[in-house]
Amino acid sequence: MQFDRSTYRISDAGTGIRNWLLIAGVGLIASAAGAFVDPKQFFFSYLTAFAFWCTLALGGLIFVILHHLFGSTWSVVIRRMSETTMRTMPLFAVLVIPILIGIPWLYHWADPSYVAGDYALPKKAGYLNVPFFVIRTVFYFAVWVTLSILLYRASLKQDESYTRENAKYMRTLSAPAAILYAVTITLASFDWLMSLDAHWFSTIYGLWFFSGAVTAFFAYTTTNVVFLFRHNILKEDLTPEHFHDIGKLLFAFMIFWAYMALSQFLLIWYANFPKETVFYLARWSGSWRALTLSIPIIGFAVPFVILIMRITKRNLNLLAGMAWLLLGMHYVDLYWNIMPNLHTETVVVSWMDVATMLFIGALFRWYYLRLFTQHAVVPVNDPKLGASFSFVNQ
Amino acid sequence: MLGNPGLHDVTETIAGLAERKETPIWWWVAMGISTPIAIMLLAVVGYLIWNGIGVWGVNNPVGWGWAIVNFVWWVGIGHAGTLISAILHLLRQKWRTSINRFAEAMTLFAVMCAGLFPAIHVGRIWVIYYMFPLPNQMAMWPNWRSPLLWDMFAVGTYFTVSLLFWYTGLIPDLATLRDRAKNLTRKKIFGALSLGWRGGNRQWKHYELAYLILAGISTPLVLSVHSVVSTDFATSILPGWHTTIFPPYFVAGAIFSGFAMVITLAILARIVMPETKNYITMDHLEKMAKVIMVTGLMVGYAYSTEFFIAWYSAWEYERFAFINRAFGPFAWAYWIMITCNVLTPQIFWFKKMRQSVVVLFIASIFVNIGMWFERFVIVMTLHRDYLPSSWGYYTPTWVDIATYIGTFGLFFTLFLLFLRFVPIIAIAEVKAVLPHAQPHGHH
Repeated sequence: MQFDRSTYRISDAGTGIRNWLLIAGVGLIASAAGAFVDPKQFFFSYLTAFAFWCTLALGGLIFVILHHLFGSTWSVVIRRMSETTMRTMPLFAVLVIPILIGIPWLYHWADPSYVAGDYALPKKAGYLNVPFFVIRTVFYFAVWVTLSILLYRASLKQDESYTRENAKYMRTLSAPAAILYAVTITLASFDWLMSLDAHWFSTIYGLWFFSGAVTAFFAYTTTNVVFLFRHNILKEDLTPEHFHDIGKLLFAFMIFWAYMALSQFLLIWYANFPKETVFYLARWSGSWRALTLSIPIIGFAVPFVILIMRITKRNLNLLAGMAWLLLGMHYVDLYWNIMPNLHTETVVVSWMDVATMLFIGALFRWYYLRLFTQHAVVPVNDPKLGASFSFVNQ
Repeated sequence: MLGNPGLHDVTETIAGLAERKETPIWWWVAMGISTPIAIMLLAVVGYLIWNGIGVWGVNNPVGWGWAIVNFVWWVGIGHAGTLISAILHLLRQKWRTSINRFAEAMTLFAVMCAGLFPAIHVGRIWVIYYMFPLPNQMAMWPNWRSPLLWDMFAVGTYFTVSLLFWYTGLIPDLATLRDRAKNLTRKKIFGALSLGWRGGNRQWKHYELAYLILAGISTPLVLSVHSVVSTDFATSILPGWHTTIFPPYFVAGAIFSGFAMVITLAILARIVMPETKNYITMDHLEKMAKVIMVTGLMVGYAYSTEFFIAWYSAWEYERFAFINRAFGPFAWAYWIMITCNVLTPQIFWFKKMRQSVVVLFIASIFVNIGMWFERFVIVMTLHRDYLPSSWGYYTPTWVDIATYIGTFGLFFTLFLLFLRFVPIIAIAEVKAVLPHAQPHGHH
């Protein structure tokens, strides 16, 4: 991979990117085999993998929106990376189709005979029914894909020439975009994950989903910086000052996520109300208990102690280590939310978990890298780019 | 900053306000109104303690009334001060330097008013020391599972840290007042208060570090205090109270109401002290209007999520609690809340509205009314419980009303003293963000 520092463009992207497609192909074949062997397991594994990778794109989308709204300086250098993460959204609009096909296997509210015999589900059938579910999911992706394409296109236009109108357009678009985003991501989390157990409900669930998405996005961005360094891209321009800020945000959002998870747990534990505690009791049986305990300890306490130190945030290797840990725990967190609906007694790790992660992950990575190497790696005409490069933490 | 003041001008203007010989007429008038009201508060609280809380409007089924509403309302207002001083500091939002001092003062006084209510609502205030884990021969300890006890520790910590933070920020400015003092008494007083500040290089280095650490400690407090306050309601199993979104929802509401109060006070300060207009500019007011708009949308999000999940829960009591809120006997309060908190801030989508002092002032008052009613609506969930025969209605008594009004007297008395004797804008911090203070000149 060759990097031209005068234009900030990558030439000769090489065949490395295409290898991702190969891996995705292997993952696809294995996943497809799984769909025939055990469709129920396949769909649950697929939903987990989908939620994991899609939340990265969702995190990217809100980061770009907030970047425009706040008009921040330091983050200009990572703007194009974030925009590329966000711009993978059309891929997920396609990858969501298997979930729509899998509704009968995933969601018990889709089974009319089950609903008919239930005390509560008939009352929510106006919301939890297959056609409306499909319409909603299509709507979420219509919003997300449109927003990410509009924001990305405007950003590329800025690379050709800077105009005030264009910069203003991105800012103006971002305000209603933030509102649409809040509504859609909340309902998406209710639909895709919370309704797996259609009896259970929690008002904070949308915020929990959102906080996990943003944390994972910052972790992903950190690994992207490592990737750039390995290929000698922006090596003179990205400094510990930038790592420091990414690290601070990673740290802050990890705490925000823990705060959401704790709020949900504490209130349900304290009130001890059977309708609600069922969620935690299901995750307290068998080996689920170990997984439950691992989330606050490995997902919060350990990275908290390590990330709070200044040295971690200014050392790229240490920071990347934390990023990988948090990405892993983001998967565990989603897995912990989804899988107990399938394996109620104990944790059962399936090869399909791996296959679906490989398939969606490799496809995502391929799409991301292909897009990233086609354009300048930073928004070259952003008036704040120079200030962003020379930015120093005070 | 407007009018391009020099470093000396900043000192002259702001320190001048605290040093003037002639106390302005408006100050005497305002003080003349506030102090009697504060004294009335003292009388009403005395009356309450003498007679017991039966003099309040609380009864079955509404066992919590204005006291908890006022407590939550005042604590919420305090949050803007901490957010401005701590979180905006960490986020490098330099515009905060003009407003952080008086916003922090507002926090302290608001928390004082808030703390009064839980203290006086206990039946026997003379044994309130049992709230502290004091070793005693009866081996009686506070109940650690009670959210009211969490409240005491959360609010106590909050007040202590806010006070330290505010005072640390004041030290260089107090030293400025000391150096400018024209008589020995002033010199002695400010000399003692400024704790030997000399403004040396090393002192500044330590000072900046201490300030940063205090900002770091204050930041979780912004979230924790109102989260704990929300658990007063949410740890119960009452429909309409027990819902998991309460902690972040209360925090957003607190910031919302706090910023509204900062706008109200800032506009008043601009009117009575025109010198401050160059420091508390339209730009500051506009930025705060944006914060109000965003946090207003957040509480709107919380209201809608609660309503949706009440329906989604398919649970008749939960559904009833919310339908009753919107269409029951207290529907008037609910719709005041929605109008003030969700609809009013939407006018700030328009730049013209954000730049009109009149609109800002009215809207900020509306938001504060709305946020008072938000807590009122939540508490009034109590008026219809599971048994229709015990349904009732709540009406405050004159003692409730007088106590609430009295806290305004206390708040404004303290605030006026602050306006008169302390530099109301952080002189040293404002100087650091002036264009001449930037070594490389862009800004």
